Amino acid sequence: MSIEGFTTAAETVAPASSPNIDLERDLARLIVTALSLETPAEEIEPEAPLFGEGLGLDSIDALELSLAIGKAYGVQLRSDDERNHRIFASLRSLAGHIARHRTP
Amino acid sequence: MPVEGPDLVLTTRDAAEIICHRAGGPVTIGQFLAEAAALAATLPEQGHAVNLCADRYAALLGFAAALLRGHPTLLGARSGSLDGFLEMAAAQYPGAYVMAGAEDERRPALPFIQVDAPRPGVPLPPLRPIPAERVVAIGFTSGSTGTPTAHAKPWGALVAAAAAAAARFGLRPQDGPPASIVATVPPQHMYGFETTMMLPLREAVAIHAGASFFPAEVHDALAAVPPRRLLVTTPLHLRVLLAEGRRPPPLAAVISATAPLAQEIALAVERDWGAPMLEIYGATEAGSVASRRTVREDGWLPYDGTRVRDGAAEVPGLGTVPLADAIEPLPDGRFRLLGRLADMVKLGGKRGSLADLNRVLAEVPGVEDGVFVVPEDIESNPAARLSAVVAAPGRTPAEILDGLRGRIDPVFLPRRLAVVAALPRDPLGKLPRQALATLLAPGEEA
Repeated sequence: MSIEGFTTAAETVAPASSPNIDLERDLARLIVTALSLETPAEEIEPEAPLFGEGLGLDSIDALELSLAIGKAYGVQLRSDDERNHRIFASLRSLAGHIARHRTP
Repeated sequence: MPVEGPDLVLTTRDAAEIICHRAGGPVTIGQFLAEAAALAATLPEQGHAVNLCADRYAALLGFAAALLRGHPTLLGARSGSLDGFLEMAAAQYPGAYVMAGAEDERRPALPFIQVDAPRPGVPLPPLRPIPAERVVAIGFTSGSTGTPTAHAKPWGALVAAAAAAAARFGLRPQDGPPASIVATVPPQHMYGFETTMMLPLREAVAIHAGASFFPAEVHDALAAVPPRRLLVTTPLHLRVLLAEGRRPPPLAAVISATAPLAQEIALAVERDWGAPMLEIYGATEAGSVASRRTVREDGWLPYDGTRVRDGAAEVPGLGTVPLADAIEPLPDGRFRLLGRLADMVKLGGKRGSLADLNRVLAEVPGVEDGVFVVPEDIESNPAARLSAVVAAPGRTPAEILDGLRGRIDPVFLPRRLAVVAALPRDPLGKLPRQALATLLAPGEEA
């Protein structure tokens, strides 16, 4: 638990994954378009949960999102990734994951 | 057709045959039975297993162990209101316990059995025939309002269904090399249960265990198993896999169920992947009852021993089971689906009643009038979602959504929700479709 907390904290401060404001804005628009959401992109809270409560996405959305993210950033989403829960935790964590794995 | 015979043991497959391909290597029937017996020995005397295992091998192991112990397995929803499901299980099924893997989230509501914990071996007890009428699994339809309805599955019916599917899809020992199934549907969904639990137990099938949800995972899973490869999936996954554009390894067949498959998706699979695109028609209540090759056949051919007529199917071991679709029998013994009976809607493999959904909507605080709206493309767009138009003075769409959350299955939550002063009812109280569509059009603010 403490290790997990430490890793998350480290990820937020590490230079490679400090909040990517531009990418977050870009990703928010992509999410809204790909999933036909009513919420305006600028109203998606960077730290709010994407699934369940929060934005209320589900597994159908996850699949749609994987397609859109693959096309836009060349990043393949996986559920067997140990960090999966953290990757999908919020707009910020998803943007961080994409920033670390996108093809330059 | 009665279901009986000495072959009603857990499995009639040889000990050396492969039942599962895992990351660590293939698992034989012999090894699987030994692990199932060891797990069964740790289970309580009496009980009901709530199988929540995400890993397909763990799910199969849990089901087999519960079977050996004489416990029915509750095939609970892995998504949706799981806590509500567990409360129901605790209240209605004596001795209910949760089976899950080390990776799965713990649920404090019920006793917990970790399926994949290491445990000492025990001598394999002789496999005795399991009575055909014994209920070994219970499927649940959540309905639209999340109150689960139970559908008992006697062992004989499941064995007969597996045999019928194997005959239909060439999965019997005499049909060729064993098939490898990669599935994108959870083992707790009736379609996933039949294809990734019953088929490997009973027929010449090995399942892939490991993640196979996202497109990249499906490709890796297919590459990791030997031919003959069978992809068991849904229209939703097929649409995404095709849009992504990578060609999978050679496939013996692709099977889809849970919703009608658009002709263009079937054509693309046959053309781009060079594989027969087969569709199964079924329901949680009846199980799989018919199939077709979508690009060639409009009519569905019932499984051997099953008869399908308007509104019901006669299923071996189950008897007469009502169906939620209008059916037109064809002269050649096939049948055509004429669409869902009015009021029924199906999304993400879940079926709900619009009347139920509208009733729950009306009960949300502040709602004076409201209606769910089904999109025009619900039958052709696998990602289609419901909308709602609500008269709720002073309330925001977010408040209405909060009121619905937890009371209906999440898949039915309206994606677009317009709050209006009054619903556009005509003098007869009816709601013209066009008027609702206008209210829901993008950019329209009430």
